[in-house]
Amino acid sequence: MTFDPYYLILTTATLASIYGLLAIGISIIWSSLGMINMAHGFTFAVSGYGAWLVAQFLTGNGAAVMAGGILTGMIAGALIGAAAFLPLYDKPNFAVRSLIATLALSLFGTQSLLWVFGPRVKALPKIFGYGSVHFGTAVASYDKIGSIICSIVLLLLALAWMKRSRRGLEIRAMMQNPEGAALVGVSLRSTAIAVMVATGGMAGLAAVLLSQTYYVSPYSGTMPLVKGMVVALAGGLGSITGALIAAVLIGLVEAITAVGLGGQYVLITQFLFIIIVLLIRPRGIAGMLEHTRE
Amino acid sequence: MVRKAGRQDLLLVGRRRLLPRLRGHGGAIWHRWRYPFTRRVPLLFETTYNPKTLRIDRKIVDKRPLYWLAGLIVLLIAPPALGDNSFLSAATVFAIYAAINVVWMLIIGTAGIFSLATLAVVGTAAYGAAYLSINFGLPWWGMIAMGPAFGLVFGIIIAIPAIRLEGFYYALLTVGIVELCRVYVVQSRALGSATGGLYGAQTFVPDAISERGGLVLSYYAAFFVMLAALALYRAINGRRLGLLLRAAPERHEAFAEAIGVNYRAARMQVFLISSAALGGIGGFYATYFKGASPSLFTLESLLLLLAMIVIGGIGTAEGAVTGTLIVVLFDQVFIGLGPVRLMLIAAIMLGTVLFLRGGLFGMATQFRAWRGKRRSQTRALRTGKGGEVMPEEATEISDKQIIYVRRFDKHLRDELKELITDQLIEEHRRSNGRRRSDALERVLTYFRRAAVVDKYAVLTVKPFAEYRIIALSGQRGVPPHTVDDRTYATPEEALHAIFLKRVHDLLES
Repeated sequence: MTFDPYYLILTTATLASIYGLLAIGISIIWSSLGMINMAHGFTFAVSGYGAWLVAQFLTGNGAAVMAGGILTGMIAGALIGAAAFLPLYDKPNFAVRSLIATLALSLFGTQSLLWVFGPRVKALPKIFGYGSVHFGTAVASYDKIGSIICSIVLLLLALAWMKRSRRGLEIRAMMQNPEGAALVGVSLRSTAIAVMVATGGMAGLAAVLLSQTYYVSPYSGTMPLVKGMVVALAGGLGSITGALIAAVLIGLVEAITAVGLGGQYVLITQFLFIIIVLLIRPRGIAGMLEHTRE
Repeated sequence: MVRKAGRQDLLLVGRRRLLPRLRGHGGAIWHRWRYPFTRRVPLLFETTYNPKTLRIDRKIVDKRPLYWLAGLIVLLIAPPALGDNSFLSAATVFAIYAAINVVWMLIIGTAGIFSLATLAVVGTAAYGAAYLSINFGLPWWGMIAMGPAFGLVFGIIIAIPAIRLEGFYYALLTVGIVELCRVYVVQSRALGSATGGLYGAQTFVPDAISERGGLVLSYYAAFFVMLAALALYRAINGRRLGLLLRAAPERHEAFAEAIGVNYRAARMQVFLISSAALGGIGGFYATYFKGASPSLFTLESLLLLLAMIVIGGIGTAEGAVTGTLIVVLFDQVFIGLGPVRLMLIAAIMLGTVLFLRGGLFGMATQFRAWRGKRRSQTRALRTGKGGEVMPEEATEISDKQIIYVRRFDKHLRDELKELITDQLIEEHRRSNGRRRSDALERVLTYFRRAAVVDKYAVLTVKPFAEYRIIALSGQRGVPPHTVDDRTYATPEEALHAIFLKRVHDLLES
């Protein structure tokens, strides 16, 4: 395949926007709740099913399907927060125990999806319609452009909410210093649930967007979880900027590998890239940024 | 009523009598059996003289070796003797997973590296051994021998990031590595992407043997692998490496480094040894299943394995084996339930992690801590002690008589308080020198019995004109001091004022 910069940029942007949605979710949860949410993949998978249920039984309208996915993601996020964070956050050895609790929830959730919906994959309707736009020599289908625009819009909304609203202020306070936030009257419990709802919504949108290309299945959450986690890790857990930079870089690596070497080498090159990044910066890319800022 | 405290009349208090007790060997109370050429003893005894009977008591301090022995004997005998074929293969799977978990416990518990790539090491070695066997005709013993080599190489590769990364960063990275392995194995044609696994490797079960015989042989082989894993655990965790790492727990690394413990090297050593051992188990896995399948690398298998060690409790070999037993029981025996059995396992895992600090084997410690907390809370709630000795105070008073005196005093005062009424006080004011009621006599007797320190007395300032109340010092040579400025015209008035003060003191106490 010949080298095509437009195609490369487009693929990078699509991948980066979806990875960004997941990675920022994981990153925010880690920095504000101090918990690694391994059940984020389950949120992703169950949102796909939520969107599918809406498309199947209510309406095939694109906005409604997307809203169904986001809503399911929010509910799943809140449930995970209620089951794994609230009972544990003031207990000893919270970090490891919450990690294990979310892993258990992930196992439970995946198996219950398998139980309820069966192992057969489901397809979502094309919410952005069929068709494509030409960019130079590259062809961009509607769902690629739709993915990029939707995720950017949701990300901007989330960032604005974090910057402007009272709740966003509380979340940022909790990210900086949970004990200090609790001392000045921020409720850790309700803020944590708000964080889980917001990040669950992001995962829900990512699920709907990614399901335009892939199918919905009980195990569909594993790969996005791993990629989102790895992006968050490379960006530096807890940093939104870092997660965005890492999402773009890893999307780029994936696009270059897919074009240059072939699809089966994508994970290998990604991992080599991440291991090199982490060996140089054990705290991720944004660790560097924050370090120089100080 | 005084009862003669015979042997039968004593109340049975405490658990001491329930502990198994062995007789002493005459005068040789320190005699111990030791393993040859070591200073290790099979059972740790404590020999003491019983303070009451003055006999020698030999007690087993740590009874875990006995439990281990009993459990292993049951595992050795029960499945081949009692189980049918499917049960026997489930028991074989249990033994293999128990071996993996015990070695994993070395990595997570002893070395403190939260690696989730354990099954990936096993899987890599299994795939490598199966590949060599299928393509180059490697016999089964060669597969088991090559396993550690594969494990060690893979261990070195995944150990490189562990040098720089810590805690969760490493855990997340290893999850990614597992997923990478799975995708590679699923896509690679050489590793059987078309057949859903790499099958056709040589097995240690000879062709001539019957089906049942083959299953029994496999079970004993797997049991031997588990024993070897337990021996490795003991050899590392109970010896120098384990001790070095116990000196360097999480967040105390700086201290360990300061006293000269090279904990990084120790961790790496344990990690690499464990990886080689996992590789050996992988080689065995490949010979047992005659190959390897991508299911070794799925997130689900990883979660099942994690459930096993979490339920038993991270950090102990018995936890690893028991957790494996529980999860394999659910997973293999209730296989007819479908996904529900995995949901059950997940629910048990979630319950364990939400409510227990250290898994099943941490329950006793946690319960004791909880009971102690509740006891001190109830103690703190008992504020109205009224001069009685608190239980924790009592241990510091050597003359136990004082404790009983204070308890008697408290009960007496409680009783007297109920006698004090307005009529009683009025009676005392009017009945000076005359016959008094029983209640008033009781109260006055108690007052008269008080110690001389701060006991009130009447001072005659001017006879028949002015009287005052003083308090005695109780010490020779120290004069009494006046209590207040009030004067009384008659001694009877002063005596009644003293009575009122004492009544006030009594009601306040």
